[in-house]
Amino acid sequence: MKRIRLLMVDDESDFLMVYSRRFARRNVDVTVRCNGKEAIEAVKDNEFDVVVLDIMMPGLNGIETLREIKGIEPDLPVVILTGHANSEALIQGMGWGAFDYMLKPVGTDELYFKIIDAIKSRKFESA
Amino acid sequence: MHGFFDAISRFIRKPAEGKDDSSERFLARCDNFRLLLAANNKALETMAEMTEESQSDLLFGMSHVRAQSLKVAAGVRQMIERLCRMNPGKYDALKDTFNQIVMKMEKAADDREESRRGPLVLAMENIRADMISETGSKMALLGELSGELGIRVPQGFSITASAFRLLMESSGLEDEINRLIQITDSKELEELYSLEASITRAIDLAIMPSDLQLAIEEASRRLSDGRKNIRLAIRSSALGEDSSEASFAGQFLSVLGVVPGDIMESYRRVVASMYSATAMTYRLSRGLREDGVVMCVGCVEMIDAAAGGVIYTRDPIGKYDNSIIVSAVPGLPSTIVDGSSHADSWVLDRESLLISKAMIVDKKWRHRVSFNGGINREMLHGDRRSLPSIPDEVVEELAGIAMRIERHFNLPQDIEWAQTHDGKIYILQSRPLSVREEQTQSEQLPEKDKDAPFAILTDCNPSSPGIASGPVSVVETDDDMLRFPEGAVLLTRNARPRLSALLPKAAALIAEHGNATGHLANIAREFGIPAFIGAPDAVERLSKFGVVTVNSRTGKVYLGRRVDQLAESDKLHISPQDNEVIQALRRMLPFIIPLSLTDPESPDFSPENCSSLHDITRFCHEKAVAEMFRGGGMPGSNARRLVDKRPLQYWLVDLGGGTSVSDEDEYVDLNDVVSNAMKALWTGMTAVSWEGPPAVNTGGFMSIVSEAAQNPSLAAGMANEMADRNYFIVGKNYCNLQSRFGFHFCTVEGFAGDDQERNYTFFQFKGGAADMNRRTIRSRLIADALERQGFIAEVRDDALFARIEGVSKGAVERALAVAGYLLVHTRQIDMVMADENACRKYKDKFDADIKAILSQMPNGNGCSSDRS
Repeated sequence: MKRIRLLMVDDESDFLMVYSRRFARRNVDVTVRCNGKEAIEAVKDNEFDVVVLDIMMPGLNGIETLREIKGIEPDLPVVILTGHANSEALIQGMGWGAFDYMLKPVGTDELYFKIIDAIKSRKFESA
Repeated sequence: MHGFFDAISRFIRKPAEGKDDSSERFLARCDNFRLLLAANNKALETMAEMTEESQSDLLFGMSHVRAQSLKVAAGVRQMIERLCRMNPGKYDALKDTFNQIVMKMEKAADDREESRRGPLVLAMENIRADMISETGSKMALLGELSGELGIRVPQGFSITASAFRLLMESSGLEDEINRLIQITDSKELEELYSLEASITRAIDLAIMPSDLQLAIEEASRRLSDGRKNIRLAIRSSALGEDSSEASFAGQFLSVLGVVPGDIMESYRRVVASMYSATAMTYRLSRGLREDGVVMCVGCVEMIDAAAGGVIYTRDPIGKYDNSIIVSAVPGLPSTIVDGSSHADSWVLDRESLLISKAMIVDKKWRHRVSFNGGINREMLHGDRRSLPSIPDEVVEELAGIAMRIERHFNLPQDIEWAQTHDGKIYILQSRPLSVREEQTQSEQLPEKDKDAPFAILTDCNPSSPGIASGPVSVVETDDDMLRFPEGAVLLTRNARPRLSALLPKAAALIAEHGNATGHLANIAREFGIPAFIGAPDAVERLSKFGVVTVNSRTGKVYLGRRVDQLAESDKLHISPQDNEVIQALRRMLPFIIPLSLTDPESPDFSPENCSSLHDITRFCHEKAVAEMFRGGGMPGSNARRLVDKRPLQYWLVDLGGGTSVSDEDEYVDLNDVVSNAMKALWTGMTAVSWEGPPAVNTGGFMSIVSEAAQNPSLAAGMANEMADRNYFIVGKNYCNLQSRFGFHFCTVEGFAGDDQERNYTFFQFKGGAADMNRRTIRSRLIADALERQGFIAEVRDDALFARIEGVSKGAVERALAVAGYLLVHTRQIDMVMADENACRKYKDKFDADIKAILSQMPNGNGCSSDRS
């Protein structure tokens, strides 16, 4: 099976570590970045199937990061995953074309199926 | 739901003949429809949870309420996104409607006064009671005592609410703390301890705004005025702390003996104590909001006390009517409030201020200010242990001051005081005292204690009234705290304030040391838990027993559960039904739950008329179904009418491999359906003929009439909804049925292939025409029937969610048959659900019919496994 190329952006290194380990056991290759700036560089230099993006990060915040990513690759699905329930981020994030908005804590399965949905949706949209 | 994807992928891999762009578009539409349904389920599920939470006595904090509302909102926003993609441009207005509803919901959550930025620091001489929103009550009341009554209080200053807000906002601390609380979302003490540690770390690392730093340093310089030996007490004075509704007694930190150079560090520690596991448990159990809590901090000069203590201007447990209680210890009063020492106490008449009773005890320790910083504990020897801590004149003087304070505030007071070596009395703190109204008759002990032979501890002084029973659990270490079972009698040596985290789940409290005027006693009274504090040797004498009964009226602890005594118990239940968190939730629900948009045929069925998130889900669902099955000659998009000798009220969409005929025809015969999943579902739906709606008794009929009257669009929509089409979406091994029978909405979905891992059946059911109670009973009845067949089912109000996963192909087929049977045969029975006989009759009929249906299918009965 073709492996999924996931970019995970979060300033919490523990969180990134746990999920990359869990996803590695499935068919997902996880690239991790811990701030918006690095994430944008990664999107410029590499090809990903899907991005999971934290919304509250020091420096460039998640919404700005999302806008930049969408500027570089409009079709790349981005799932927002945040520890901070904030309706403004939901409104803005979805407005800027996020695939979905999820709240931490999230189960591995739930997140896994969400990224599958996001990838699949992209396939149909671009068909 | 993954089965749908599989069906679609197979369809892509083996495209129907004539595959072109339009078939791709159809598949994209299918995918959007599937995502919309999934988001719909999720949103409805969370809405049902929220409704239940608003009516329950479950404990949760504001971060949970916010997370739940955002989960609903995210699901609804996802539905809008998917619908907009099904027909670009047509439904964009929904986004604005959504944004407006969400903003209103957000505003309802935060229905609090806007705070203005005031001074960062206020000197004691400028503080008065009306500044409570800047200084917190502790400092406001001290300022008032000094400024208005001329009572001596320590010099000092307040680090204000504005200072706290500046710190929280400028450093991003507030967001970080809310985030940490949300991702923990736990009531477990162990997790709360680790949350406490993370928040404390965040506060330690936060950058102190320079304005604040300068203001504090300046105030500290002015207070010290060149004196080298000055030591400070840095005390919490949180907004809402010490209010008459919630005392937070002893839950926040006071740092004593602080040298002026360490104020900033102590300030951080006091701020952090607002998020201690103890304080978070307290807030959770009292339903107080954890977001927006504000910690004002008082910095006051420490008094080098010869003696100190506490005054109650009324007896909080009503043992001594019309009395003032004064307690005292040598040295600082901190040994009283933290429960580490016994105290002398006096009872005085409130009118004459004369002593009517004196209880002088053996005092082991005293606390003194150490001039290196901190507090020293010194052991007392000889006479100093047994002599009164203060002479009678001082006791009477204290009572006089206390009465002046009570008169000024017009409420019973709990006052902390200290006396210097040269005899000056300082009031360190004054706050409203919670007094139990009843129980003045507590002196009237039962004429004869018939349980006397069972008494294992006698002559205890009650610190909080009540009668309760439970297993004894000794708590000495933090580990003991984590292991403390619900409903146990908390037995401990020292009445430490930290133990208050356990009181919400304790039946009673017994402590060897400490006294009725300590913090823990206060909290026990607030929770209505009987408490004996100051019960010598209790740990040794009680720990070998199992269940005991604690009775404050007799002052005894009895072996076993004394049922007669418990029957008299008047335990005060704190109802979390009406607290800050629930109030906020209830203010938000009107923007989430009410469904006003029910009739799709009405001209009012439009995005502009959606006034709740639920309305939007209803709108999106309806429109998505319409979009999904709008014609246009695309391959596969034609919904064909199902025929079984004659045309039925069912339409079918084949995703590929579900039927054996081409999809160009307008009709499809049942015999041409090859989807095993649909065949199984259909078998269940038709094996037993429906006996029609039940004969309705008057109550049931009235229930429907009144529901329809309250919700006119429901009645208006009836004819349309009854006539609605029901759609099967099928693949080779897949079937999804979205149906509405009358007033109830039902989704059955199943995938029955060769890979057991991917197989599942999903059954969702909601609605009805009768009142919520009857609908709930019906959902429970269906859930029970499904559970007896191996489903995992959950009922929230009238919403039912049931599933079976990871079972064999045959088991899914059987599960689908069961679901199909129940789908058809539970129509309209909500009307008779108040009738117990009817419920029993239906239960028996369901079980018998299902058994008969399954016996006709391969591999017999039960859905969860195959018989080998």
